[in-house]
Amino acid sequence: MNLMMKGLLIARGVFFFAVILVSLGCILGTVLIFFVSKDLPKLPSPLSRIIETPQTQIFAATGQALITLGERKTIPLNMVSQDFINAILATEDHRFFEHHGINKLRTLKGLYVTLFESGRVQGASSITQQLAKNLFFSFEKTYRRKVKELLVALQIEASNTKEEILHAYINQIHFGAGAQGVEKAANVFFGKSALDLTLPEAALLAGLPKSPTNYNPYRHYDRALKRRDTVLKRMVQVGFISDLEARQATLITPELHYEQSDSRTGSYFLDALIKDLIQKYGEDVIFHGGIKVFATIDTRLQSYAQKSLKKGLERLDAMMEIKDDQAECPQGALVAIDTGSGAVKAMVGGRDYYKSEFNRAMNSRRQPGSGFKPFLYYSALRDLGFNPATVMTDKPVIIPVKGAADWKPLNFNRQFSGDMILKKALTDSVNTIAAQMVEKLSPETVIGTARLCGIQSPLQPVYSVALGTSPVSPFEMATAYSVFATLGVLHEPFLFWRVEDAFGRIIFEHIVQEKKVLDTVTTYQLVDMMKSVIDQGSGRSIRELGFSRAAAGKTGTTDSFNDAWFTGFTPTLCTSVWTGFDKEKKLIDVRGVGITGGKSAAPIWADFMMNALKSDPERDFPIPDTIRFETVDAITGCIPEKEKEGREVFTIPLKSEQQVCREELP
Amino acid sequence: MIRQWYEPLSFSEWLRRTFSFLNIAVFMLTAVFVFSEFRFDWYEHLVGSYLASTNELRPEKGAIWETGKHTANAHEYLNKIISKKENTRQNAHEASSFSDLSSTLLPGDWVILEKNQFKILYLTLEAANYSKLIEPAQLVWLLNSSSLDRIFCEGVMGGIKIYFIDSENRVIQQIELKKEDILEIENGEKPVSGKLTDMNEFQGRIYPASIFFDALFKLPVDIIPDLMVNPEVLLRQDGKIINVGIWNEARNGYIKLGFEFEEPGKNVVVFIKGREWAVWQLSLNLKGDGN
Repeated sequence: MNLMMKGLLIARGVFFFAVILVSLGCILGTVLIFFVSKDLPKLPSPLSRIIETPQTQIFAATGQALITLGERKTIPLNMVSQDFINAILATEDHRFFEHHGINKLRTLKGLYVTLFESGRVQGASSITQQLAKNLFFSFEKTYRRKVKELLVALQIEASNTKEEILHAYINQIHFGAGAQGVEKAANVFFGKSALDLTLPEAALLAGLPKSPTNYNPYRHYDRALKRRDTVLKRMVQVGFISDLEARQATLITPELHYEQSDSRTGSYFLDALIKDLIQKYGEDVIFHGGIKVFATIDTRLQSYAQKSLKKGLERLDAMMEIKDDQAECPQGALVAIDTGSGAVKAMVGGRDYYKSEFNRAMNSRRQPGSGFKPFLYYSALRDLGFNPATVMTDKPVIIPVKGAADWKPLNFNRQFSGDMILKKALTDSVNTIAAQMVEKLSPETVIGTARLCGIQSPLQPVYSVALGTSPVSPFEMATAYSVFATLGVLHEPFLFWRVEDAFGRIIFEHIVQEKKVLDTVTTYQLVDMMKSVIDQGSGRSIRELGFSRAAAGKTGTTDSFNDAWFTGFTPTLCTSVWTGFDKEKKLIDVRGVGITGGKSAAPIWADFMMNALKSDPERDFPIPDTIRFETVDAITGCIPEKEKEGREVFTIPLKSEQQVCREELP
Repeated sequence: MIRQWYEPLSFSEWLRRTFSFLNIAVFMLTAVFVFSEFRFDWYEHLVGSYLASTNELRPEKGAIWETGKHTANAHEYLNKIISKKENTRQNAHEASSFSDLSSTLLPGDWVILEKNQFKILYLTLEAANYSKLIEPAQLVWLLNSSSLDRIFCEGVMGGIKIYFIDSENRVIQQIELKKEDILEIENGEKPVSGKLTDMNEFQGRIYPASIFFDALFKLPVDIIPDLMVNPEVLLRQDGKIINVGIWNEARNGYIKLGFEFEEPGKNVVVFIKGREWAVWQLSLNLKGDGN
């Protein structure tokens, strides 16, 4: 009896204690609300005002819209697939239409799990709470923020209908890949409107907001699918779909939309452009200013550039027997510049933007190898009184270096060919002759020429700089070779033509200015030698691939085979292609032979240029008035003798005062 | 009256006390309170309505308002750029000379000039100075060629740059004008303190004023305006001309003439221009070979 009485006494005590506790809680809660509410943010009215942010639009030179920054395509609820609405409700808050901002039971459960199950944290935010968080609060996890978020959610519920809240939620939610709002997400990921989403697609999308980065289908498709299956299970549990429907949906793998993914969800070019714009105008103007930017990129050329690089890298994979699933694949970059203006027409900064956003075209500095020799040859033609028929000797060279070991450059094939004219030396990329020239000129002179042409990377004033041991970017190489294409005129490279405000008033306009940096006639002589590289030298694979237009260029391969380049130009378009691994790793084929720029980068260049120029009229480099041509023996540099018929000859451009067969061997 | 509490002595008393009216009422009230809250969410309604009523008094802060501020900042910045450009454009369009234009454009400012406005500004120059800016024939061709789209004028440190650009924004012709060049083009060369004999370029070609003017007036009347293209600068100068020198080189079809004025305490040389062929005629007269 006593025991029962004791039990009842305890129960009575607990009950009254609970009553007092609830009463105190109510009083405290009310006081807390009173004080905290002063610090709460004001709610915009109507709630749809949250979507009114001016959008910055970027257009291609060819007129197509490339991207809209901060774009949220707002659509009414009846323009969203019911499957998506069901999926998001099932996943995020299946009692959304029943509660008033807080799902109390779920909150209590979440609180219990968080407090009593060590290591587990269970969120219980309703859709309204998530909306409150997204609109007003940072992502720091504090109880204070949680209380505020809850209070704002209560106000949102009190001031808006459920439909208005759901409308605001689905139109502002982040899905990753630059997609905010369901319409934009459906557009980006599946190339369709939100109304046309199928159940498997809707479930996939509904799974993304939990962690847009982790479930980004472009990067982790398998994870996104697993998450999609979880969403489908929830839909079954909640009763939105049957088990059969869920199973059928699980069997379908939605096809991702890649066509517009480069321009709409980020590309190397747009990254570089936006960075450039931010430097000029600041983030507020770019992301909130609603400006219009007219970029230099040509979408047709950009598409060819992507395809050519992809094809070229796949060919490289095959040469190296690299499988798709291998962690390390060779990378590549391509930059194409309009020689007449400096406008960047195409830019690809890597194999796959969605796997690596590092822009190798702009930000990666790699050794250009022999690709640097044109700066040396120009310096020699200008300062040493050389001409393309000047004879030098390919022989072992030892150049003493102060305070360091002697420099003993070797040729790529480890052989020496004796006397030859400069044009042949550049055509065959003979290192020993380049070494002799830089010894006569000084590294500083070669660096000076490179600087005139727009190379800005730090260059080491050592002899080997002439053989391309100082790293530069493909963007710089394309800029510098453009100067050769214009016979000495530098056009500063640029990424956008014009910036306008939302009303079309011009804020910035790029004016194409010419800066004469190299001598026209000397540059023509260099260009003629570089034409020979493509016609019969280390870049001849370009002709073998069917590229028949007048073009000049230079291959570049580092001693270690870590980097393989080809940079070349026609009179109108200059393109630089780099291939190599991100890490220090050699490009070696299955036979163990090193892969050169002529084998890896030149075919990419040829493929791109053939497509890029197919609708342009063919034209050759303009010949300066004072140039005359002579045919000379490749070894003696003299007019070929009849009795020596069959020996290699070169046609060389000479200035009016230059004579062949006059120079003594240096 | 003080009631002494005592422990219930029997189970029935305990039950009676437990299920007393007060207890049942409190329990019922609490149950109704809790149940109704779970059922009708009245507490949330109450709090939500209270917060809605105080909405206007609360600060505009948080992510969405920050975005609004960013937008306001962006618009403010853009409007600043636009209004500055508009001011520059208006001032530039009101400019009546290249000096006005130059003082309107600070380094970094730019404006698009109408072809017609450029023509008006160009025609404000003295004919003798046209070619210092751009050869008249070249300008005629530029303004009438189909490739010229706009004239873009940009302020640079110490002057202006004028670009004649085509529809693809490529520069067809470029003129860089320093402020002192503009002043010289518009007002002629500034008088220099000193004597003609101190200036090497006039050596061997310095004549007393009387001989110079004698030779000048022997020339046919229609030649004299070509010999002294801008004589007003001489009229503006105080003092008396004592010597006249002829520069030793021709530029753009003109030869500079130096007039040495004697002023109290100092001598000043004022420069004007004469057409090359007219100066050549005068030289013949000065040497005594003229008609």
